[in-house]
Amino acid sequence: MREVSPEQGAGGGDIRPRRVRPLISYGHWWWALPAVLMVVLVHYVATAGGAFYAFTNWTGVGAFDFIGLENFRKIIDDPTLLGSLKNTLFLAFGFLVLTNVFGLMLALALNRTLKSRYLLRVLIFMPVVLSPLAVSYIWKFIFDFNGPINQFLGWLGREDWQRPWLAEPGLALWAVLIVMVWQTTGLVMVIYLAGLATVPPEIEEAGALDGAGTWGRFWHITLPSIRASTAIAGTLMLVQGLRVFDQVMALTGGGPGGATETLATQVYKETFALSNFGFGAALALMLTAIILVFSALQQAATRDRT
Amino acid sequence: MTKQNSGIRRRLSALVAVPLAGALSLSACSTSGDAGGDSGSGDKQGFSFLFPTSTTTESPYEALAKKYTAETGVAIDARKLPNDSYGTSLRTQLQGGNAADLMVVAPGRGQDYAVLPLAEAGLLEPLSAGSTAVVPDAYKALLEQDGKTYAQPTDIVPVGIVWNSGAATEAGAQFPADATAMLSLCQDLTGKGKSLVALAGSAPPNVGLMAMSLSASRVYAQTPDWNQQRADGKVSFAQDAGWKDVVATIEQMNKGGCFQKGAAGGGFDAITQGLARGTSLSAFAPGGSATEIMNNAEGVTLEIRAFPPAAGGKQYLLASPNYAMSINAKADAEQKKAAQTFLEWLAKPENAAEFTKIEGQVPISGVEGAELAPQYATVKDLLAGGDYAPLPNLSWPNPSVYDQLSKGLQGLIAGRGDAASVLAAVDKAWDSK
Repeated sequence: MREVSPEQGAGGGDIRPRRVRPLISYGHWWWALPAVLMVVLVHYVATAGGAFYAFTNWTGVGAFDFIGLENFRKIIDDPTLLGSLKNTLFLAFGFLVLTNVFGLMLALALNRTLKSRYLLRVLIFMPVVLSPLAVSYIWKFIFDFNGPINQFLGWLGREDWQRPWLAEPGLALWAVLIVMVWQTTGLVMVIYLAGLATVPPEIEEAGALDGAGTWGRFWHITLPSIRASTAIAGTLMLVQGLRVFDQVMALTGGGPGGATETLATQVYKETFALSNFGFGAALALMLTAIILVFSALQQAATRDRT
Repeated sequence: MTKQNSGIRRRLSALVAVPLAGALSLSACSTSGDAGGDSGSGDKQGFSFLFPTSTTTESPYEALAKKYTAETGVAIDARKLPNDSYGTSLRTQLQGGNAADLMVVAPGRGQDYAVLPLAEAGLLEPLSAGSTAVVPDAYKALLEQDGKTYAQPTDIVPVGIVWNSGAATEAGAQFPADATAMLSLCQDLTGKGKSLVALAGSAPPNVGLMAMSLSASRVYAQTPDWNQQRADGKVSFAQDAGWKDVVATIEQMNKGGCFQKGAAGGGFDAITQGLARGTSLSAFAPGGSATEIMNNAEGVTLEIRAFPPAAGGKQYLLASPNYAMSINAKADAEQKKAAQTFLEWLAKPENAAEFTKIEGQVPISGVEGAELAPQYATVKDLLAGGDYAPLPNLSWPNPSVYDQLSKGLQGLIAGRGDAASVLAAVDKAWDSK
C-alpha cells in the first residue's frame, strides 16, 4: 500500500498550503542588482581589463603589442624587483607580528580594572583615524637630520649618533616599519578589545581557583577564546602590510637607491612615472596573486578547528 | 491598476531614476570638461592652456596668458598642475580625450611628458610653418617627427650650478676653476661650518641633475653627439671615461664634505634654505630657480656657473629649451586654430622677448645681442660661443634611463652600491626599451 505523507490527502493529492506573502516584506534580491552591477563593473571588469595589459607592452598612450609572458620574465630577471619583493615581505610580516603583539598587549592592559582605560584607548586609537600621508610627513620631520631625534642626541652630547635616519640603507626600512606600526596598533587593539569582551570573567576566575597562573590563563583560556579576533587582525594586517604604499612614498620615496622600494611603489613608478603601463600591470597582477596566496595561508592557519 | 502594482512601479521607477540621474550628472560634468575651455569673450574663440607649476606665486605661463588676453581679447582658460604629477596627469588626460587645447610638454622623449612619444601616438597636432620657423636647427630632432613640428619652444634654460656669490664673498671663497680646486674649497668650507653644495639627496631628480651638470664638461664637451653614439651602440655609460669621471667626482665630493650634513636625506628645502641663509654656497638647479629664490630671499645674490671641469678640462654648460608648447590633436578645430594663433603671436620676437623676461630665462635665438638677466652674465660668453649642450636626458630613449642614473647615484651617496653597477644599470635601462 502506498504511503501517504501528511501533506497529501487520502487520494494522494497535494494539499501543501499555498505560500502566502508575508505581511511585512524586508526586500528582494533584485534590489541589490545596481550595486552588484557597479561592483562587477568597477572591481572585476576593470581588474580583468587591467590584467590584460600585463601581457602587452603598452606605454600608457598609443598602440601596443601582445607580448605574452615577457613582462613576467623581466620581473623575475630584475634584481631590483626581487629586492622590492623582499622589502614587501619584510614590511608585511614585521607589520603583522608587531601590530598584533603590541595591539594584544595594549588590549589586555586596557581591558578591565584600569580606571583611565577609556581615555588611554582613545589616545592609542587616535592615530588610526589620521591620514597615513599626514602621519608619515610628521614622522619625516621627526627623522629629519635637523629633526627632534638628532637634536635630542645632540643635547645628550652624542653627535656621533646623529644620522639621516631615512637615508641610511640599513635603517630606512625599519623607520618605515616603525611608522606603520605606530599608526595601526590602535586598530588592532580595538579588534582584540572586542574579542576580549566576549570572554566571560567567570571562566578566568574558575581557572584562577583551579590554580592557573596569569600566563596559564592567558594561554589556555583567553587566547583560544579570541581566535576570531586573531584571524581578523592577522588577515587585515597582512594584507595592509603587503600593499604598503603611502608611508614609503611619503617617507623615503623608495630610496635611498631603491632600498625601501616595495611592490606597490614599483607598480606606481613603472606605470605612471616611467610610462611602462604593461610592465606595471604585470607587477600589479603579481602583487595581487601574492596577497591572495598569503591571505589564504593566513586564513588556513588561524581558522577555528574546534 | 491595483494600488499594490502602482506601489511596485513607483519603487521600480525610483530604482532606475536614481542611478540614471547620477549617470546624467556625471556625463554632464564630462561634457563640460570636453568643451575645451572658455569660449572666449564676444565672438573671439578662446582655448584652454595646461602648464606645470611648483610654487603658489603666479606662474610665468599665467602671466603670459593674461598678457595675451589683455592684448587680443581672447580668453584663455589657464589650468595649472603640480610639477611632480604633471606628466602623469597630462598623459592620462590626453589618452582620455579631455586634455587642454594647448599644453606645455618637454622636448625629446626622455621624460613622462615628452613630446615625441605623444606625437607618435597621434595625440598632438602638427604645428604651422610659423611655429616651425622658431625651432633652431640644433633642437629640431627634439621637437619634430616625420618632418612635422609638434612643439614650439619658448626659451632656453641654462643648467649648471647656482652660485651664491654674496655668501661666497662672506666666506672668502672664489668659484673653483677645476675639480681639484673645488675639493680643496670643500675642506676649507667644512672647517667654517658651511658646505659647497646644498643637495636634495632624498630627491633623485636633484641628484640626476647634478650628474648631468657634471657631464657637460666631462662627456658632451668632447663628444657632443655622445647620445647618438650611445643609440648606435658605439659607446656605453659603463665603459665611457667621461661618465666614469662623473660618478667618481660625485663620490669624491661626497667623501670630501662638499655636501651639507645629512645631504643624503635632504629635500628641496635644504637647497632653498642653504642658499637663502648662506650656509651653502651653491646648488644644482635650473637657471629659473635662481630668479625664484632671489625674488623670495632678500639680499641674496645668485648667479649661474658652469660646473668646474676636471683639471685641464674645458668650461661647458647645459642649455636647451626644456619646455615647449603643443596643441591637443583631439581639440575642436576652432580651438586648435585659436591655440595656433596664440603660438604665432608668441613667436613674434617682441612677445618672445617679453616672455623670456617674465620667466627669467634666455631667448631661444640671438643670445649674442640679447639683454640677459643679471644671473646669466657669468655664462653669457659660453652661451654666445656655443659652448653648451642640450640637457642630455631630453635625447635619451625613455624616462627609465634618467631614473636609473638618479636612483643609482642617490644610493651611492647613501653608501649603497658601487659606481660600476650604477652605470651598468643605466645602460640596461637604455637598452631595455
